[in-house]
Amino acid sequence: MIGVRDLVVSYGTATALDHVTLTVEAGEMVALLGPNGAGKSTLANTLAGLLTPASGTVEIGGRLALIPEGRQLFPDMSVADNLALGGWRSGERDPSYAYDLLPRLAELSRRRAGVLSGGEQQMVAFGRALMSRPAVLVVDELSLGLAPNVTADLAGHLAGLNRERGLTVLLIEQNARLAFDLCRRAYVLESGRVVTEGECAELAGDPRVAGAYLGGAIT
Amino acid sequence: MIGRVAGALVAVVTLALPAVLADSALAVYILLGLAAMVTVGVSLLMGYAGQVSLGQGAFYAIGAYTAALLALHGVPPVIGLVAAPVAAAGFALVIGVPLLRLRGHHLAFATLAMQLILLSLAGQLEFTGGDIGLQAIPQFSAGSFEAGSALAYAYLTWAGLALVMLVTRNVIRSRPGRALRALATSETAAASSGIPVGRYKLVVFALSAAFAGLAGGIYCFYTGYVAPGSFPVLISIQYIVMAVVGGLGTIWGAVAGAAAITLLVQGLNSLAALPGMPSYAPGVLSYAVYALVLVLVVLFLPRGLLPAVTGRLRRDRPPVETR
Amino acid sequence: MSAFLTYLLNGLAVGCAIALIAGGLVVIHRVTGVVNFAQGTFAVVAGLCVSSLLGLGLPHGVSEVAAVLVAALAGLLTGLAAVGRRGTTPLSSLIVTLGVGVLAYAVEIVLWGDQPRSAPGLAGAVTLAGARIQTQHLLVIGVTAAVFALLALFFGRTYLGKALTACASNPYAARVVGIDTRLMGLLAFALGGLLGGIAGVLVTPLRPISFDTDVTLIVNAFAAAVFGALTRPVVTLAGALLLGVAETMAAGYGYGSHQLEVALGLMIVVMIVQAGRRPAISQEQT
Repeated sequence: MIGVRDLVVSYGTATALDHVTLTVEAGEMVALLGPNGAGKSTLANTLAGLLTPASGTVEIGGRLALIPEGRQLFPDMSVADNLALGGWRSGERDPSYAYDLLPRLAELSRRRAGVLSGGEQQMVAFGRALMSRPAVLVVDELSLGLAPNVTADLAGHLAGLNRERGLTVLLIEQNARLAFDLCRRAYVLESGRVVTEGECAELAGDPRVAGAYLGGAIT
Repeated sequence: MIGRVAGALVAVVTLALPAVLADSALAVYILLGLAAMVTVGVSLLMGYAGQVSLGQGAFYAIGAYTAALLALHGVPPVIGLVAAPVAAAGFALVIGVPLLRLRGHHLAFATLAMQLILLSLAGQLEFTGGDIGLQAIPQFSAGSFEAGSALAYAYLTWAGLALVMLVTRNVIRSRPGRALRALATSETAAASSGIPVGRYKLVVFALSAAFAGLAGGIYCFYTGYVAPGSFPVLISIQYIVMAVVGGLGTIWGAVAGAAAITLLVQGLNSLAALPGMPSYAPGVLSYAVYALVLVLVVLFLPRGLLPAVTGRLRRDRPPVETR
Repeated sequence: MSAFLTYLLNGLAVGCAIALIAGGLVVIHRVTGVVNFAQGTFAVVAGLCVSSLLGLGLPHGVSEVAAVLVAALAGLLTGLAAVGRRGTTPLSSLIVTLGVGVLAYAVEIVLWGDQPRSAPGLAGAVTLAGARIQTQHLLVIGVTAAVFALLALFFGRTYLGKALTACASNPYAARVVGIDTRLMGLLAFALGGLLGGIAGVLVTPLRPISFDTDVTLIVNAFAAAVFGALTRPVVTLAGALLLGVAETMAAGYGYGSHQLEVALGLMIVVMIVQAGRRPAISQEQT
C-alpha cells in the first residue's frame, strides 16, 4: 500500500506539492490525473525516495518500483542488461524473470535499448521495474507518446499483474479515459494540491473533470 | 553608506600603514597588495563569467617579463609598467578567442597548459634569459622620482590595487556588468536573452589578465629579478584559493581573501622558521594551508568567507535548496 | 632502424603509463562527471610508497601491491572529499581535487622529502630485431594491456561494472533502480586511484618520481583523455600511446626540449575542435 499524509515537497522556494494526502490500499490500482506541472512526477520521485519531503509522511508497504516518465532506460546498454540492473534491489539478476511476465522482451534481449521504438522502450522500463519484484508499482505516464494499440497491450499486462499477483499500482496518467478504464478510484492533482478524489465512475460524470481530462462529455 | 565609510576607512588606514611598518613587514604588505590585484581579476572571472582559470600566473609572468625586458632595453619604467597590463591583456585577447570556446574543466586545463607552455618557453628562450631569468632590472622611476625603497613600492602597490578595484567596481556597476551576472549562472539563458556572451567573456578574461599583468610589472621592479621559477603552477592555484575564500564576484572579498591567505601563510612561515623546525616546514605548511582552506571553503562555505560573515551579520539566511 | 624500434617501444611504455592514469580519469569522469585533478597524485603516492617499501627490504610483488592499494585508498579519500557531499557541482569537485593534490604535496614532503626517488624494477634488457629494450619497458606494456583487458571485462561482464556503467549512462535511471550513485562515485574514485597507482609503480623504476611530478602526469593524461572526450577508454588508450610515442620520438631525434609544448598545444587544439562540434547546452552541465 501507499500512504501519503500532508506531504510538502519544494524546490528552493517553489512548492511543488502542497499538503498532499493520498492512499492506495494493498492490491488496489488507483489513478492520479493532472495537467503538466501539477506535481505528478514530483510525487512519483518522492514515493521512490529520490526527493526528500519538506514535511509530511510517506509510508510504503513493501518494495516500490517506479516506471519513470520518459522511460529513462540506459540507452547504450542491451535490453538484457537494463533488465538485470532492474534487479539491483531484489538481487534478481536473471532477466528471464521478466521474460516470463512480458514474453515480448525475450525477443528484444540483445538489442540496444536506445534504438528501440517508444512502445518497446516502455515495455523494457516495465520489465525493469518488475525485476525488483515490487509489491507496489508507480507508473508515471504509461501512455505518453504511444500508439493506442501499444498502450492497450501494456495496460493489459498491468491489469493482469494487479489482478493475478495482487500488485498495488499507482497509475499517473494524462489520458483519463485509460485511467478510468483500468482503475476504480482516482485523484486529481492541480498546482500541487489534490483538488478532487473519488470513484472513477463518479469522476467521469463530474463536468469539470470530464471537461478537463476527457475532452468533453463521455459518449 | 556603511560600506562606503568602511571602504574609506580601510583606504586611509592602508595608506598610513606603510609609514609605520618595518621593511620586512613592508615586503608582506607589497606581496599582499599584488596578490589582491590578481585575485580581484580571478574573482571577477570566476564570479561573473563562471570560469576557472588555472593559468592566471601566466599573465602575471607576462606582465613581469614585459616590464623587465622593456626596462632592460632602456625604455622608461613608466612605459614598461603601462605596457605590462597591456601586453597581458593583449595576449589574453588573442588566446581567449579560441580558448574561451572551452568551458569548465576544459578551460581550467587549457589555461594550466598555457602557463606550462609559457614557463617552458621562458626557460628555453635566449631573450628571456632562460632558466636564470632576467636580472638587474632598474628601479621604477617616473620623471625625477625614483622608487628606491620598499616604502615607495608599497605606495605604488596601493595605487595599483586602488586602480584595479575602481575599474572592477565600474565594470560591475555598468549595464554590461549586470548582464554579466547572468553569465555566471547560465550561459545559455544569458545568450538567449540577447547578451553577447562571447564578447563579454573575452573582455572579462582580458581584464583579469590586465590586472595580473599590472601586478607582475610592479613585482619585477620591486624584486629587480624575474625567472620562470617565480611563477610556478602553485601561484595560479593560490589566486583561486584567495578568490574562493573571499567569495567569488566580490571586490572586497577578493582583497580580504588575499589578505587572509597571505597573512596566514606569512605567520606560518615565521612559525616554520623557528629553531628546531625541519627545513621543509615552510613549504609543507603553506601547501597544507592552501589545500585545507580551499577544500573546506568550497565544501562548507561555497559563497566564501566574507559573504558568509556579512550574511550572518545581516541575519539573512541562505535559501534552502532541495534536490 | 633499431634506434627507431627502441624509441617506439620506449614510447609505447611511456604511453602505457599515461594511458593508465588517463584511464582513471575517464572512469571517474564517466561515473561522477568530475575531472579529477589529483589523478597524477595517485601515481606519485604509489611510486614513492614502492620506493620506501623496497628500501625497507620488502620483496618485489608485495611492495608493488601494497603501494597500489595505498593509491586506491588515496583515491577513495579523494572521492569522499570531492563527491561525498550531496550537491557538490562538478566544477566545485574539480577545485576540491585540486586542493587534495596540493594537500598531498604537504604529506609527501613530510614523508619522503622533496627530492626525486627511484625504485628498482626488472633488471636487464632483451634484444629484439637488433634493438635493445629494457625488460621494465616490456613489463609496463604487458601489465597495461592486461589491466585494460580486465577493465573491459569488468565493465562489460560483471554486474558491479554494469552498475557503474549505468551511472555514466543515465544517473537518474540508476537512482530509480536503486543504485547508490554516490557510493558508485566513491568506487570509481578508488578504481581511479588503483589505476594511477599501477602507473606509478610501473614508471618509478624508469624515471625518478618526486612530489610535483603529478603536474606533468595529469596534463599528459588529460591530453590523452581529451582525445576520447573524457568518456571513451579505447580512444583514450590510443591517444595516450600516440602521445607517448610522439614525445619519445621527439626526444630521441633531438627535439626533446619542446615535447611538453607540443603535447599541450595539441591537447588545446583537440579540445577546441571538439568544443566547436558540441552544442553549448550539453556542455553547460560540466
